Amino acid sequence: MYEIHSIEQLLKLTALAAAVISIIILLWYLVRRPPLGRLTKVMLLFGLGVMPIGVALTGNIAGFEFTLKRQFCGSCHVMLPYTEDAADPSSNSLAAIHSRNHSFGEESCYNCHADYQLFGTMTTKVNGLKHLFYYLTEYANTGPYGEGGKPIHMYKGFQNGMCTRCHSTTAPRWLANQDHAGMLDDIRKGDAKCVDCHSGEKIHPRAFAHGGAGKPPVADASQPGAAKNGGHP
Amino acid sequence: MISRLTIRRLVLISIITTLVSLGLMVMGIIFPKPILLVLAMSLGQLFGTLSLALYLLAIVLDLQGVGEHDAIAPHIGFEGEDEERSGSDAKA
Repeated sequence: MYEIHSIEQLLKLTALAAAVISIIILLWYLVRRPPLGRLTKVMLLFGLGVMPIGVALTGNIAGFEFTLKRQFCGSCHVMLPYTEDAADPSSNSLAAIHSRNHSFGEESCYNCHADYQLFGTMTTKVNGLKHLFYYLTEYANTGPYGEGGKPIHMYKGFQNGMCTRCHSTTAPRWLANQDHAGMLDDIRKGDAKCVDCHSGEKIHPRAFAHGGAGKPPVADASQPGAAKNGGHP
Repeated sequence: MISRLTIRRLVLISIITTLVSLGLMVMGIIFPKPILLVLAMSLGQLFGTLSLALYLLAIVLDLQGVGEHDAIAPHIGFEGEDEERSGSDAKA
């Protein structure tokens, strides 16, 4: 028996049910070809209007929910060195540590990389369309881990706000770190970037072991030590 | 000249467009890959909107009584499209 565990699954089932009802109504009309009387018009209004609008609404929300998940990010093969490491329970990379945190969980890619501003969700989705364009035009024929493709880089620098919305820069354990305390003002102003120290090699070691270029993951890149400064609060 | 046959054709085109639209949207739900999701949310909904607009146009034309006098048009000096009318139209 199929069990519903999330709103996304419920929305998907609702969308599929609406689609099936719509298709049944339309096939009924195509097979029977009844006169365009009042009943037929109302039935067709449901089949052509109400139900498809229901499919679009619920399908859109379910689709947007799914785009937040790591599984979706990993559906482009060039992202596998990033997503496989993040999902690896034995990895000590920053991405994996954050992914094991319930607040990030399956949506860890989105939670760290989505723009943090008023229209952040929108700009993130627009950038997602750019990702798809570049994937289709530049990376589609690359190897299983993107071998042969150009090195992958972010559109813009990683902002401290992505980190400081959780790591508030006020926790005693965080301040006890001398490096943090020494450049506290610069970190808060954004003059010193978190990723200057906690760099790509510590966040996504399997991918950055090759400078961000698509290569198969390195077996020991995510072992303890790769994320030397990774486990602070 | 717009006839009852035109209205039925509009409905038929609307149905086919809706089926294509539903196919795209269902594919996006069952196989949520990036390209399919983009197709579902763009082309799928474009076709869906277009088909609803066509259906509403057909209903408006029907409510205006378009083609109601096609059957008697030749008898009163107008060239109609009544030879194209299907049997089911005649019933309507």
